Amino acid sequence: MTFNTRRKILAFGGLAAFGTGFSATAKRMLNPLFDGDAPKSRYHGASLEPEFKVDPASGALRVNPAQQVSYTGCLGCTTQCGVRVRIDRASGKVLRVAGNPYSPLSTEPHLPMKASVRDSFVALSGYHDKGLAMRSTACGRGNAVLQQMDSPFRVLRPMKRVGPRNSGQWEPISFEQLIREVTEGGDLFGEGRVEGLKALRDLTTPIDPRRPELGPKVNQVALITSTNDGRLPFAKRFVQQAYGSINFVGHGSYCGGAYRSGSGALFGDMKKMPHGKPDYANTQFALFIGTAPGNAGNPFKRQGAMLARGRSEGKLNYVVVDPVLTNANNLAAGERARWVPIKPGTDGALVMGMMHWMFENGRYDAKYLSHPNLAVAKAAGEPSWSNATHLVIVEAGHPRQGRFLRGSDLGLDLPETERYKENDPFAVTGANGAVRHDEATAPAQLFVDDTVVIGGAPVKVKSSLLLLHEQAHARSLDEYAAICGIPAQTIAALAKEFSSHGKRAAAIAQGGMMAGNGFYNAYGVVTLNALIGNLNWKGGLSMNGGGFKDAGPGPRYNLASFPGMIEKPKGLPLGRNAPYEKTAEFAAKKAAGKAYPAQAPWFPNAPGLATEWLTGAANGYPYGIKALFVWSTNPLYGIPGVRAQVEKDLADPKKIPLIVAIDPLINESNAFADYIVPDSLLYESWGWPSAWGAVPTKASTARWPVVEPKADKLADGQAIGMETFFIALAHAMALPGFGPGAIADMDGNTYPLERPEDWYLRGGANIAWLGKEPVADASDDDMVLSGVERLRPMLERTLKPEEVRKVAFILARGGRYQPAKETYSEDNPEWMTHRFENGLQIYNENLGAAKSSITGKRFIGCATWTEPGFADGTAMRAHYSEAEWPLQLVSFKSALQNPYSIAAPRLRALHPENPVLMHPADAAHFGLKSGDGAVIRTPGGSAHGRVIVHAGVMQGVLAVEHGFGHRELGARGHRIGGTQQPGDAAIGAGVNLNDLGISDPTREGKSVWVDAVSGTAVRNGLPATVARA
Amino acid sequence: MSDGKPSSTRRAFLQAIPAITAGLALPTSARAAPGKHHWAMLVDIRRCIGCQACTMACIMENAVPENSFRTIVSTYVVQQLTAGRTTAGTYMLPRLCNHCEDPACVPVCPVGATFKRDDGIVVVDGDRCVGCAYCVQACPYDARFINHATNKADKCTFCAHRVDAGLLPACVETCVGGARIFGDLNDPQGTLRRSLNAAKKNGDAIKVLKPEAGTRPNVFYIGLDDRFRGRVEGQAALWHPTSHGA
Repeated sequence: MTFNTRRKILAFGGLAAFGTGFSATAKRMLNPLFDGDAPKSRYHGASLEPEFKVDPASGALRVNPAQQVSYTGCLGCTTQCGVRVRIDRASGKVLRVAGNPYSPLSTEPHLPMKASVRDSFVALSGYHDKGLAMRSTACGRGNAVLQQMDSPFRVLRPMKRVGPRNSGQWEPISFEQLIREVTEGGDLFGEGRVEGLKALRDLTTPIDPRRPELGPKVNQVALITSTNDGRLPFAKRFVQQAYGSINFVGHGSYCGGAYRSGSGALFGDMKKMPHGKPDYANTQFALFIGTAPGNAGNPFKRQGAMLARGRSEGKLNYVVVDPVLTNANNLAAGERARWVPIKPGTDGALVMGMMHWMFENGRYDAKYLSHPNLAVAKAAGEPSWSNATHLVIVEAGHPRQGRFLRGSDLGLDLPETERYKENDPFAVTGANGAVRHDEATAPAQLFVDDTVVIGGAPVKVKSSLLLLHEQAHARSLDEYAAICGIPAQTIAALAKEFSSHGKRAAAIAQGGMMAGNGFYNAYGVVTLNALIGNLNWKGGLSMNGGGFKDAGPGPRYNLASFPGMIEKPKGLPLGRNAPYEKTAEFAAKKAAGKAYPAQAPWFPNAPGLATEWLTGAANGYPYGIKALFVWSTNPLYGIPGVRAQVEKDLADPKKIPLIVAIDPLINESNAFADYIVPDSLLYESWGWPSAWGAVPTKASTARWPVVEPKADKLADGQAIGMETFFIALAHAMALPGFGPGAIADMDGNTYPLERPEDWYLRGGANIAWLGKEPVADASDDDMVLSGVERLRPMLERTLKPEEVRKVAFILARGGRYQPAKETYSEDNPEWMTHRFENGLQIYNENLGAAKSSITGKRFIGCATWTEPGFADGTAMRAHYSEAEWPLQLVSFKSALQNPYSIAAPRLRALHPENPVLMHPADAAHFGLKSGDGAVIRTPGGSAHGRVIVHAGVMQGVLAVEHGFGHRELGARGHRIGGTQQPGDAAIGAGVNLNDLGISDPTREGKSVWVDAVSGTAVRNGLPATVARA
Repeated sequence: MSDGKPSSTRRAFLQAIPAITAGLALPTSARAAPGKHHWAMLVDIRRCIGCQACTMACIMENAVPENSFRTIVSTYVVQQLTAGRTTAGTYMLPRLCNHCEDPACVPVCPVGATFKRDDGIVVVDGDRCVGCAYCVQACPYDARFINHATNKADKCTFCAHRVDAGLLPACVETCVGGARIFGDLNDPQGTLRRSLNAAKKNGDAIKVLKPEAGTRPNVFYIGLDDRFRGRVEGQAALWHPTSHGA
């Protein structure tokens, strides 16, 4: 297919590419016949030898003894699909990766666990076309990321910086030196004394005696990571349970956290943030707002496959509402898949407009919403319920304004300690006035605007649904339409369609919610589901099945706790995801007469916030930190605007005296580290991850080293990695929870935690014994065919005899997966098996009773439309006018690249760069055409990129695909032990939108723009302008 | 993008998908010798999500040289005028060797290196090929290239080495959307033949690329819609392989 290429190259004149073409031609001219390497095979070139052969008549399997096929997990993105890895036995090289048929993340429906490994191989073959029915896939990236295994940029031994931070100069050091220096400290860099981890583990002295709520000094040691790759519980055990710091955070706040928080508000848990997905197999209409299943998202393949099936042979129709057109659309599917462009950060206007129409036209499920508790709902045939009828105190100035009216308010006799807690019921309006919600046996009134008497005083109350109704009617449909740029008739049509399929419709969002009002936009999207009462229904909104817990208290080994454990680290987390009102600062300011504003925002309704960590540490608010672990994560690349804010602070060892990275690669963040510790990569790792969403059955993937880790080995043969590092640190500091006797079984016998397998294999034993009954035993054939045989001595050394074959059974199949036939409930085939049964929060009192720590103003407790704004409540456009910043930047996820895959050459060859998408009208206005170089400017910075004029983007928007614009991962060569690595400029191609993120102009000190409720990063709707470069 | 400007003209789009044309009728009878396989592929474009898993799997399986492709999914943004309004949509087109009944590449080969096997797969005999590239120019589908590692003509083989081992082609195994259906046209009970029959029954037109070339392809498509012929403004979307015109 190159001739066509050449025509294009000649036509458009790419110099580099022309050079390549020319040299190849010249080479052939010089030696026309015999200058190439002879193909390995006469007809098949250099194609791989097949991994096995399947007899077309009998289906008998014959394996190729030169290769090994093993089932494990992918880490090409956070979906972490189950995959099959094909290995050349002689070299240990990974040849190819495809799907694991036992894994629902790769196969639909997945193969039952009872199938032998041999049968699973045959199921993938052409025998009786089995492999078409049991297609088990890897995505484009999943096929290509194996190239990272052999990357020349891998970190394989511990390294210590020998120049200033981020100077790219390193010296390899021994593991022993690493452990000694990190624990003991000293004048490590000739820059003065650095405190070691041993000295920093102070569990009693407060960080600030005047602010005891911050906790002890140990909290000044912090770990930042990305996602649970199945190894998170191990790292948490070290940092929190053994070392004792409260500060352990993941990447959610700069991933899709706004959506999770909005969903958490509806599901009533803003820390764990439950979320649902359409039951794709049976949904008839799906509304995707700020998410693009099939293009990206989690789980990428599973959603893509089910979308593809639904829109071709199934009954699925769907609409994607997003500023950017992606592969979630497919014109061949005709009207089954539609794209509706929207202005960035205005999703809340769209959904409040839809609700407005649904209320006006009676297109909400009034019967469903009237159920005050689960029992009444179930009696009426509903598998879920909501608090639509619960009464909220709205009396201005009442001490409990914004909170639910409770039984104790109405005279229920409860001890004071139990008032307003779990046992204090809510109140609803029944046929004869207010009643306890939990004792109601019939539907309650939906729209209530009433006055009750509390302690002799009249108090105004309203029902949750009325409060939502008021918010929906705060503006007209036309006003909502004008805000979001979607015609009113389209909003009405979406609302009508959404409410026309009974329970078989669902609305979800994801990363597209990361705007300056993302929380409320997301709360609105998920609230749509409550209005049609689709939760837990077949074809409606379904919950994830979850996983089998490895690091729990049993049933074989207690991996959840140990003697000497720090039960609950004390203090306030660095990200200030806690109530400001509980701080000494609040008390002092209140006493001084002005409680608000706080020095910087607090986020009582948010989970851990990496977004606030680095700026917080730089500001010393709530406190500075002394040591930072950066494990498998890249906040400097991923958090919009943070690099410009903290780059200098990170480079200054006086600000954070010790930074230790644990990573197989050098990325933009760990380039600032003092030490880099190598870690296992992809198929070298252990871990027990489970699915993040959209898998309605329980799923735990087994990640196990199907190839030998490449990092340097210790004297006892263990490869250096996160686990060996933490085990050694724990040993050096004599921490509890690690070492001999650190793990107890159910009888109190103890076992060591001295090697990674001590942990993961025992976690596997827990998984094997969970569920209705323990899994079966692996056969010898299972073990040999799957490659688990290689680990048999390790299994036998580590586990009890009766556990060996059960854990092997799971490893051989790449995980433990509940059968697909258990998707729907045994009791009612129209209900999902895994159901969420707490009430959905149309109104969330934790939200509605909380105040902004800056303005002191109460948050609205239900979905609403609010403009993207800053911490002091002012709108973004009040600071950055459209006249000066006429465009808005949005980010979208790549179908091919993740934030750490750019160094895989095959991915780059297909898609080397991320041109910035620009609407034709905007291009005309700015005088740009496709291919032009351009400077994109925001108040936070500028970047050079190339534009592509693109009809698939909303007017007024510049869209940037994520995953490009790297400075590291090979883009810059580092000097290691006196040897200069060659950098590869191609790795640095394109633009990273996060380098254009902005700070919050209303905040003191360093900041990045975050959503006021969820504290999540803002990367959609950044004010911008563009000019020809 | 790194090679040059993306093309944004209608002409360029039509050049990029030169082949969309009302297709020939579904083959109704076996075209290979009785008792033989007749390997073929059906691509249901409605199910393609443009993830390029096929592209990458093919590269890994077949050690396709860097910056060459035996298969790829060309992805386009298409602007359409519907009821007076301009709308945009994504269109994907998985492309590979069509393993034609009358392959244009075979007669032009001066050394008889390119030939059609009994089972319909068109292959190149690497021992004979002299790398003259006549076949590359003759192929109406741009499906061939000169492999710069070997200097031989190279192209999709339907993963004949896997098919001969009772396995599926790499692209088919890993097709996330389940768009690629591979099988034996001579097997009336096979998934391929049943899918073709079902499509016919549902009124889903089965088409091939460039029927007017007279090559009688063995790669069939569902969703290769006439809407995209002559009435579209389109451009290659985000995928700009560094050395490929797809």
